[in-house]
This record gives sequence, structure tokens and C-alpha cells, in this order.
Amino acid sequence: MAKLSRRAIAQYATDQITSGADTKQLVLQLAAYLVDTRRTRELSLIVRDIQFYLSEAGSVSGVITTASQLTAETKSAIEKYIKQQTGATTVALDSFIDPSVIGGVKVSIPGQELDATVSRSLTILKTRFKKA
Amino acid sequence: MTEKSNISITELSKELRNAISKLETTGNLDEVGVVLRVGDGVAWVRGLRNAGFNEVLQIETTEGIVEAFALNLMEDEIGAVLLGEDSKVKAGQTVRLKGSVLSVPVGPELLGRVVDPLGRAIDGGPAIKTKQQGLVEREAIGVMGRKSVHEPLMTGISAIDVMFPIGRGQRELIIGDRQTGKTALAIDTMINQGKQKTGVVNVYVAIGQKRSKIARLVERLKQEGVMDQTIIVATSPADPASLLYLAPYAATAMGEYFRDNSQHALMIYDDLTKHAVAYRQMSLLLRRPPGREAYPGDVFYLHSRLLERSAKLSDDLGAGSLTALPIIETQAGDISAYIPTNVISITDGQIFLETDLFYQGIRPAISAGLSVSRVGGAAQSSAIKSVSGGLKLGLSQFRELASFAQFGSDLDEATKSQIERGQRLTELLKQHQYNPMSVWQQVASILSVTKGYFDKVPATKIKAAQAAMITRLWADHKTDMTELDKGGKPTEEILKSIEATATSTAKGFEG
Repeated sequence: MAKLSRRAIAQYATDQITSGADTKQLVLQLAAYLVDTRRTRELSLIVRDIQFYLSEAGSVSGVITTASQLTAETKSAIEKYIKQQTGATTVALDSFIDPSVIGGVKVSIPGQELDATVSRSLTILKTRFKKA
Repeated sequence: MTEKSNISITELSKELRNAISKLETTGNLDEVGVVLRVGDGVAWVRGLRNAGFNEVLQIETTEGIVEAFALNLMEDEIGAVLLGEDSKVKAGQTVRLKGSVLSVPVGPELLGRVVDPLGRAIDGGPAIKTKQQGLVEREAIGVMGRKSVHEPLMTGISAIDVMFPIGRGQRELIIGDRQTGKTALAIDTMINQGKQKTGVVNVYVAIGQKRSKIARLVERLKQEGVMDQTIIVATSPADPASLLYLAPYAATAMGEYFRDNSQHALMIYDDLTKHAVAYRQMSLLLRRPPGREAYPGDVFYLHSRLLERSAKLSDDLGAGSLTALPIIETQAGDISAYIPTNVISITDGQIFLETDLFYQGIRPAISAGLSVSRVGGAAQSSAIKSVSGGLKLGLSQFRELASFAQFGSDLDEATKSQIERGQRLTELLKQHQYNPMSVWQQVASILSVTKGYFDKVPATKIKAAQAAMITRLWADHKTDMTELDKGGKPTEEILKSIEATATSTAKGFEG
């Protein structure tokens, strides 16, 4: 049997989830397939691909990274913005505090990112000065 | 001291403010990918489903942004070749699309400079700021945009200009073993463009050449006064394979600027063997299936798409031209190896340099039998054409006959005379490096032997007689020689002047 691409596996799983199939059964099926084909190492990548296809289907999950705690108001504004940008029906964003971003906000959703952090601006500045 | 540091702080502050104001804060969602693994100058990236072939990717490292270009677009991942140090790139780093394919600065600002394949100055001079950028990978001009090759590109090397003429827009391969004078031929051709004031821009591409060799070349070109019309694109063996791979394409983009602006440019690719090796390295690291000699299946396309960009443009497109002199190094004279046969079939002829001839002191060591120019004949000037008839055949026959000459004297008179004339011609076609000859010098020299004016001069004295004749011709018939230098067919009067001078010069060298 030809090796299935990660994309094909993720697409199958997404179709099952969106069609309302039993997720427990799906998880068992996927786990058995990955063990059988010795591809358990690719698990995290497949999960990311499933997230990507789910976001294309209108269910976006992601992470907001900031240097300090976000207010509920700001978080809801970001969720609203993401909904607007992606056209998703549901948006679920986890907050994550990382002092290394220094300031600003970074929103990561499957396959896309909005990085308005101070640390990224500094990286860009560093590169420009190196080139000059 | 205080004042000096104040100035630099003010400048720095100004630059910082300027840079900060230019930072993009669009607030848009960018498509991103993640580095999965990296090694040997290749990064494997997950995501970025909209990435195109050859598109530039930006990997965000802690030390700044490292650029790469996408070469393998697969279902689950992208194989990208890094343009910077791979030590800075780590798995898990974010990758963004730059939104453009590779381009390099092009324009007259590059003249006289030594740059890397990304157009960055490496000669210690100021940063290069050009008005235009040129695409590194560009489709070659179509049929209707071209014109047949009809103007000569004089190399200044009589053996080439007379027997294997090169036209503007032609691709002529220089092929031979190591240390046979391949680069020397190319450099002489570059120098001739300056000496004869042809206005042709030289673009020399050094692929994996030692930095010391490049430094010597630059110094020489400066001495000869040609550097001002030359661009050198240099890569050293210490550079990543990606830069060696890009060098000829980037340089061609720089040459195309002149071609597209009604000027003439000469590309020298030194050498495409190393280029193919760099591409093989990249391809193997990208896990592409190896073929003959472990080269990938598209190694022919690698060179054909590069050399197809050399062309003579139609009048509608400005009549500019891009001539290519690719260099290929053979192993033990084997021109039937994979890469040599590929490039031979792509180009419009080849100049084959033989090790044996080189060590016999026949330099340039051009093989008359194996060299050919397929389109240059149409571009040969009338002056040169008037003396070149039968020369190649005569020289080839002489080299065949020469092996018999050592067996004694029982040869007929016709054969003996052919051998003697061949010996004189061989001597005459020897030429020192960095000493290209103008059209009139070539015509007069060839006539002196083929018409028999030097028949009584022994072969060992031919070069001295030639030098003396050239000096006398210039002193006594400067106007005629200047006229002849324009390339027109020599008039009866000019021919008589040459005959008279050659005959009288020969008398001083007889015996």
C-alpha cells in the first residue's frame, strides 16, 4: 500500500470530525494506523494539519502570546478580529504569557500568524542593519 | 573626540528613527510555516502552502532573518536552500514568504565592482545601490525577439578570430583539461574589449574560485584598464552550494540589463563543471533521485536554460546582445563525459584546448581539429574573412602530417612544403597572454605566412619577424592599417603595402 501523505490523513480526520463521527473511534483508528505504519513521530504534525483543515472548515483554534496578562476585553477583540479575517464560525484562542516577546501581541492560528511583537520588530531591525 | 562620538550618535539615532518608521505594522495575518529540520544548507519547512517554485522564504532566527529559496515543493513539506549560514537556523523557527522570487541589483552601478551572487559588494567598496532589480531566473527571449548573429566579437586571439570566429550573441564553449589556458583565453577576450574599445561589457562569473585568484584577476584587469567595463560575480569554495548554484543566473541577470538596453555584454562562466557539481550537491541533499554520475535528471536543463538567455536581439528590441563563453574542465581530455557532452550540444561551438599542445609550447593550445564555431562565420569581418580561407583545414592537415615529418626526408615536395608552412603558421598563431591583437595585426600576420612572404624565414624566427613587420607597418602605413582595422575587405593598395613590408622584413630574418 502506498504511503498516505500527512495531508491526506489530516483531511480524512477532519472530514470525520466535521461530519459528526465518533471522535473516540476516530482517535483509535488513527492511532492504530500510525503504529502500524510506524509513523507515530509524525503525530504532532498530523494534529497541526488537522487543525489547519478544521480552520478551513470554519473552526479556528490558536494561541495568543503576550508579555503580560491580557484583559478579557482585549482577548475578545482579538477573537472578533480573527473571525473577521478568517471568516470562521468559531474561534478558540488560548492565552500564553512569554516575557521574551517584550511587548505587543502575537496571534498564531493554523498556517497563519499575526506578529506585532516588539521582539519581531527588533529582529527585522537587526537584519536591516546587518544588510546595510 | 567628544564631538566625533556626538556626530556618530546623532547619525545612529537618525538611522534608527528612519528604520523604525519603515517597520511594517500592517496588522495582517501572514501565511507562516515552521522549520522541521535543517542541515547541510537545506531547510525542510512545513506549511506555506502558497509558496511558489524559487520563491524566497524568510526564516526568523534570533540573529535576524535568514533567507532561503524553495526548490522542492512536496505535498507535506518544502525543501528550501539557505542563502545564509545554516548554523543560525533551528527547527521550530517561523518561516514567512517574502512574496517575491530571487532578484539581484542590475545596472551600470555594478561596473568595476566585485559582487557576490546576491549583488552585495565584496570588494571592500561602498554598498551598491542600483535603480533596478533583475530576476535571477528569467525566461529566455523568444524566436521573434532574436536576430541571427552577424557582428563579430573579437577575442584578440588570432587563432580564434581567424579559425573559430565568435559573433555577438553566440555561445562558444571553452573546454579542456586543467592548466591548459581556459581562463587565460577568457581573460584575454575581456582585455581585448577594453583595448579595442568595443564597448562590450564583461561579466565574469567565478564559480567556486579561490579568493586569491579573484584578487589577482581584479588587479590584472585594473592594470589593463578593463575593470571599468567589467563586473565580477565571485563565489569561493567556502561559500554554500546555493550561492555557487545561483552565481551564473545572477550574473546573467546583470548582463541582461545591458543586452536589453541596446548594449553588448560578454558573459564568462568559469566554470560550469563546478556549477554542475554544486547543483548535484544541492539535489542530493534535497533527496532528488540521482542519475548518471549522480547528477540529477535536470542537469541538462540547468545549463540549457542558462545559456539560452544569451542572444542577439532583434532591432525592435534594441539590437543588444549577450555573448556567452562558458568554460568546462575535462578529465584527461575526455570530452565525451556527461557534463562536457551536455554543454557541447547546448553551445554554438567549442574551443578545445589540448594538454599536449600546451606542453609543446603551442599556446593558446587550441586543437584545430576538435574546435568549431557553428555560427560565428557569418559574423566574421570581411578583413579577417579575406585571410582565413582554408586556414583551419590546412592547420589540421599539418598536425596530422607533422607526425610523419620525424621519420626522415623521403617525403614529396608538396608534403614538405605543407609541413613547413604549417610549422610557420603554428609559430605565428602562438600568442602571449594579456597580448590580444587588433584586426589589422591579425590580417597582416596571417597574410605574411599564407601568401609565402615569410617562406624563407625559419619557424624559430617567425615571431620576431612578425613583431618587426607589425612595428614597421604601423610606422609606415598607419592610415592604411587604421582603415584595415575597421574590418572592411583590404584594398589592393593595403595588400601591396603589407606585401612590401613583409617581404623586406623577412630579408632580415632569413637563414
